[in-house]
Amino acid sequence: MLNIKDLEARHTKYKIKSYIPYIITLIVLIIILVASNEIFNSNLSKTSKNVSQKEIELNTTKKKVKILKVEIAKPITETIQQIENKKVILSPSMDFMRRVNTPVEIYTKNDKKINISKKVKVKQKKHIKEEIITQEVINIDLVKEKIEQDNKETLKIRKKSSLKIEINQDQKDIKHVIKRFKVNNNPALSLFVAKKYYQLGDYHKSYNYALITNQLNNNIEASWIIFSKSLVKLDKKEMAVKTLKRYIDSSHSPRAKILLDEIQSGKFK
Amino acid sequence: MKSSLFEDSRDVFLDVVNTKDYIELDRMSSIYDSLLDSIKKPLKMILLYGKPGTGKSMFLSKLHQSLSQNQKAYLYNTPILDESEFFKSIAQDLYDMSYSGELNFTQFIKVVENKDIDGTFMPVILLDEAQLYSTSLMEKIRLLSDTRKVKFVIALHKTEKEDIIAKEHFQTRIWESIQLANSSKSELKIYIQKKLLKANCFDTASMFTQKSVNLIHKLTDGNYRDTNKLLYTMFDIYTYYTENNPNKINKIQISNKLVEMAAIHTGLIDA
Repeated sequence: MLNIKDLEARHTKYKIKSYIPYIITLIVLIIILVASNEIFNSNLSKTSKNVSQKEIELNTTKKKVKILKVEIAKPITETIQQIENKKVILSPSMDFMRRVNTPVEIYTKNDKKINISKKVKVKQKKHIKEEIITQEVINIDLVKEKIEQDNKETLKIRKKSSLKIEINQDQKDIKHVIKRFKVNNNPALSLFVAKKYYQLGDYHKSYNYALITNQLNNNIEASWIIFSKSLVKLDKKEMAVKTLKRYIDSSHSPRAKILLDEIQSGKFK
Repeated sequence: MKSSLFEDSRDVFLDVVNTKDYIELDRMSSIYDSLLDSIKKPLKMILLYGKPGTGKSMFLSKLHQSLSQNQKAYLYNTPILDESEFFKSIAQDLYDMSYSGELNFTQFIKVVENKDIDGTFMPVILLDEAQLYSTSLMEKIRLLSDTRKVKFVIALHKTEKEDIIAKEHFQTRIWESIQLANSSKSELKIYIQKKLLKANCFDTASMFTQKSVNLIHKLTDGNYRDTNKLLYTMFDIYTYYTENNPNKINKIQISNKLVEMAAIHTGLIDA
C-alpha cells in the first residue's frame, strides 16, 4: 500500500535537493556578476580618478607654470630693476672713483700721510663698492635658487631663458664696467670684472683681470684670492699655492690662509 | 477517465514473464531471428546473456513458444540445482523416462548416447538463470551437448561468474553468444505504448510524451524490469489520486512529479 503523504514529502525534499546545485550555481553566478561589476566600476572610477587627477595635475602644472612665469618674470625684472637701480647707486660710486682717480693722479711718493689717508678712503669706498657688487651677485644667486626650486620641466625652459638673461645682463655689465675701467684704470672695476668672469666660469679672463687689478694695486686681498682661485681652475694649483703663500707672508690675510688650506687639502678644486 | 483504466494500466506492468506480453521491438526481433538461425545451425550451445531486466527470460519464453511448435523444446525457468533431479527431469522430458531412484550423470549420458534423434531437429533445452548452476553441473551439461543428441540455450546474467563459465565450459565448444541490452529512449516509448495498447489502454498510452519517456529512461536506464516496476507504481499513484484527489493529476499527459514519486518509492531515486 502506498503512503502518498510520505511520498509527497519525500518528493518535495528530493526537489529541493535537486534544485540546490542550480541555486548554488545561480548564487555563484550572481556573486561573480556583482563582483565583476564592482571590479569594473572600481576600475572605471580609478581610471576616471586617474584622468581627473591627471587633469588636476595638468591644471596645477599649468598654474605652476603660470606662477613660475610670474615668479620668474618678477624676480628677473625685479633684479634687472634692482641692478639698474644699483647702477644708479653705482653711479655715485663712479663719481667717487673719479674723485679717487684725481688724488691718485696727484699722488706723490713723498706725501705718504695723504697717500695713506686717501688709500684708506679708497679702501673704504672700494669696500662699499664690493658690497654693492656682492649684493648684486647675491640677488642673482637668489634668482637662480628660486628658479631651481621650480618645476623641472618648466625650469629647463625658463632657466635657460633666465640664465641667458643673466648672462646677457652680466655680459652687458662687464662690458660696461670694462669700458669704464679703460677710461679710468680703476682696480675696483678690474676686480669687479675679474669676479664676474670668475662667476661666469671664464677663468682666463678672471685671471687676467685679477692680475691687472694686482698690478694696479697689490694690496687688494680679493684680487689675490680671485687670482689664486682662477689659477686653480686653470689647473695651475702649484702656482696658486705659491702666489698665496707669498701674499700670506706679506699680508697675513686670514681669507688667503683659509683658501690656501682648502686648495692644499683638495677641498677647493 | 475512470480510475479502473489506471488500474488496468498498472496491471499491464506487473513483472511477470508471459509470452503474451512479449513486445516485438525492431532490435529484439532481429536478435530473435538470429537466435532462431543459430538454433538451426549445428551449434552445440548458445549463450544468451545480459544484465538483469534486459528481457532474457521473456526472450527465452518466446523462443520456447516458437520452437515448441516444430520440435522438442523444454524451458527450465528455475534452475534444478540437484544433479540427479536435473538429469531425471531431462530424461523425463526428452525420452519420457521416469526414474524413481537416483540417476547419475554416467547412467544418463549412456541413455542419451543410445537414443536417436526424433525427427529432423535436435531437441533443445532452454536453461534460464544458468549462473546459478554449479560448475560441475555446467561441465556435465557441456559433455551432454558434446553427444550432439541435445542442444542447450543458456541464459545468464552478465557477471564475473558468467565470464568464468564461458571461459571454462564453452571456450572450446562451438557456440554462439547473443547479448541483450537495455532499451534506447525510442525503444522504451514503443515498449510502453505497445504494452498499453495491447491491453487496450489507449488513453494512458497517449499520455506518454517523449519528454516523460526520457525521464523514465533517465531513471531506469532503459531497463525493462525497472521500467515495469516504475510504471506499475506510477499508475498505482494515479489510481490513488483519481480516487482521493483527482484535481491533483493531469490526465492529458504523464506528470513528471508522479514519475519521480514512483521512482522514490521503487528506490530508483534516493530521497
